Amino acid sequence: MDWEFFVQQIVNGVTLGSVYALVALGYSLVYGILKLLNFAHGDVYMIGAFIGYGVLILFGGSVDPVIPIPLLILLMFLTAMIGCAVLGATIERFAYRPLRNAPRIAPLISALGVSFFLQNSALLLFSPNFRSYDTFSLYDGRLFLPLTAGPLHISPIRILVISSALGLMVALTLFVGRTQLGRAMRATAYDREAAAMMGINVDRVIVIAFLIGSALAGAAGVMIGLVFQRVFHTMGFVAGLKGFAAAVVGGIGSIPGAMVGGLVIGLAESFSIAYVSSTYSDLIVFGILITVMLVRPTGLLGKADIKKV
Amino acid sequence: MKKRSGIATALALVAVVAVVAALAGGRAAPASAAGVPCDGLPVGFMAPITGFVAFIGGEQLHWAQYSLDKFNKENGTSFTLSQFDTQDLNPALAQLGATKLSADKKVFGVVGPAGSQEVRASGPVFRKSGMAFLSGSATNADLTGGKYPTFFRVVGSDNQQATGDALFMIKKLKAKKVFIVDDQEAYSTGIADKAGNVLRSAGVTVQRESVSQKATDFSSLVSKISSDTDVVFLPWQVAASAQLFYQQMVEQGKKMPIFGSDGLDSGDFTAPGHYVSTFARDIHGLPGTAAVIKEYEDRYGTKWGSFGPPVYVSMQALLTAMKVSCKDKKSSRAEVIGNLRKVNLPNTILGLPVQFDGKGQNKFAKFYIYKITGDKKALVG
Repeated sequence: MDWEFFVQQIVNGVTLGSVYALVALGYSLVYGILKLLNFAHGDVYMIGAFIGYGVLILFGGSVDPVIPIPLLILLMFLTAMIGCAVLGATIERFAYRPLRNAPRIAPLISALGVSFFLQNSALLLFSPNFRSYDTFSLYDGRLFLPLTAGPLHISPIRILVISSALGLMVALTLFVGRTQLGRAMRATAYDREAAAMMGINVDRVIVIAFLIGSALAGAAGVMIGLVFQRVFHTMGFVAGLKGFAAAVVGGIGSIPGAMVGGLVIGLAESFSIAYVSSTYSDLIVFGILITVMLVRPTGLLGKADIKKV
Repeated sequence: MKKRSGIATALALVAVVAVVAALAGGRAAPASAAGVPCDGLPVGFMAPITGFVAFIGGEQLHWAQYSLDKFNKENGTSFTLSQFDTQDLNPALAQLGATKLSADKKVFGVVGPAGSQEVRASGPVFRKSGMAFLSGSATNADLTGGKYPTFFRVVGSDNQQATGDALFMIKKLKAKKVFIVDDQEAYSTGIADKAGNVLRSAGVTVQRESVSQKATDFSSLVSKISSDTDVVFLPWQVAASAQLFYQQMVEQGKKMPIFGSDGLDSGDFTAPGHYVSTFARDIHGLPGTAAVIKEYEDRYGTKWGSFGPPVYVSMQALLTAMKVSCKDKKSSRAEVIGNLRKVNLPNTILGLPVQFDGKGQNKFAKFYIYKITGDKKALVG
């Protein structure tokens, strides 16, 4: 058994999985409260990647930035997260809230419409050409030189992405589990009407769910830009699909489920490319999704929705 | 009743729109009209002007326009350019472009498309409309096998490229094991198959992989490259992807050289110490190119590679044929094709003559191999 090769796949899978988990969290947060599949979420992630790129260029690009690189990266994250949070809240206000009492198909179609709108807006604003973060030029490529510990080889850029994603997930878990607002979100997810009767401002909770979910998507967009460097207007489609698959595998509506689902999908993709073939990796990944749905329809960590009749 | 009449109205509207569209299309139906006047004739042009490979299309567009303007100035003609963007070397768009250009009865020849998969998609349309089309970059071997009788190209075929690349890896790089990855497009799989066969017949171990052209992460694929691999061969069309592949090789401590095909010959692939083959050599320093380069760069800037000059020569060849066809002030598509077969350009900026054989292949085309050294390339084969 080639342990080095095996461990490398874990590194690759965890990197990808961290990004998918952040995207999946956005799906789960919104679905948990609104029972709405926000198909525009992948495109919010794409916008986040472009915002990060814009900040990078604004401060001189990766070849010769005018501010220290750690500050530059932090600004890229913060701007993308804030920008996407505002975008998410705007989408909720104008595309979903008016349809809250409409048949469930209506907000779904609205979500698809928003997705196309965002994609084509990016196409018109930024052209179909690739933009490159060119992260390789930061610190003369040293962010990509691997650090070695036994069979483990991992580059600083991947450590940054994995640790940032982990930090965000821990922060979200603490927020939802330990704060009053988090409690309000859990109550609204459990029973929206009862929560309203208990005095919880449900509209505010929903907006906050969109703010947080979209901010996480923005962060994920910047992470992908830093590691894989290319941003383009259709990048949200595949990431959104895989993030959605991760949310469903983990249990749609479940926050820990979204994290686990993201890792499962990321690792499945990485190992299937490494041990089977890259031609079949998507087949295997979505095959896992179908299998989980057949064997455990609520997802790995999801709970059955019990309704009193 | 109201619902039924609503459906009936909708169906009637659709039928009316369909009939109007068909009539409009029929009026503009392709016609290989004999004896169309030559003044201001548009010359078709197809390239990926936007999208993942916009660096190819943008460069080709500039060189095509420059060639056309220069020809008009030197010959007193008034040809114009009618361009179509095929975005991302998209076969569906190429077919649409071929249909649109074929429908314009004033278009008698097309320069483009750029990619082999686009030629396959547009070839049947151009064959049906009898339109000549010349590519400066579609190199798949079977394109000049007789299936597309109106297709011409000034550059070599992928069989030449694949064989040349494989022999270079064997003789100069002393490769005993080669890792080949194709990008699942016709151009790439063709070169990968041919090079793999040549390498295997010379006793070289070949490990073959495949990845989608749209993939954004190659980490797991890179980790499959074993430490005893001597060369990584990437016959890809998207140079930016190869650059990412190289960076992920660095990330995983893989130091073997990458050898790319002509798709990697662009400013997007700058991995120092690695190799690319190209269907057109760097024209700087070749006889008769200095003035052309200066004029081009004054107009369009200095950022260009090897995709532009073959299009310049393709346009020259087509316009030469069209000028001969227009001697009696009128022309037709059949006449242009006939004259293209007789075109003889003994001195071109590519440093080699252009003369087409019976299947549209330039008899004098060849491939070149460069080693990337910093910002420059050195000719090594």
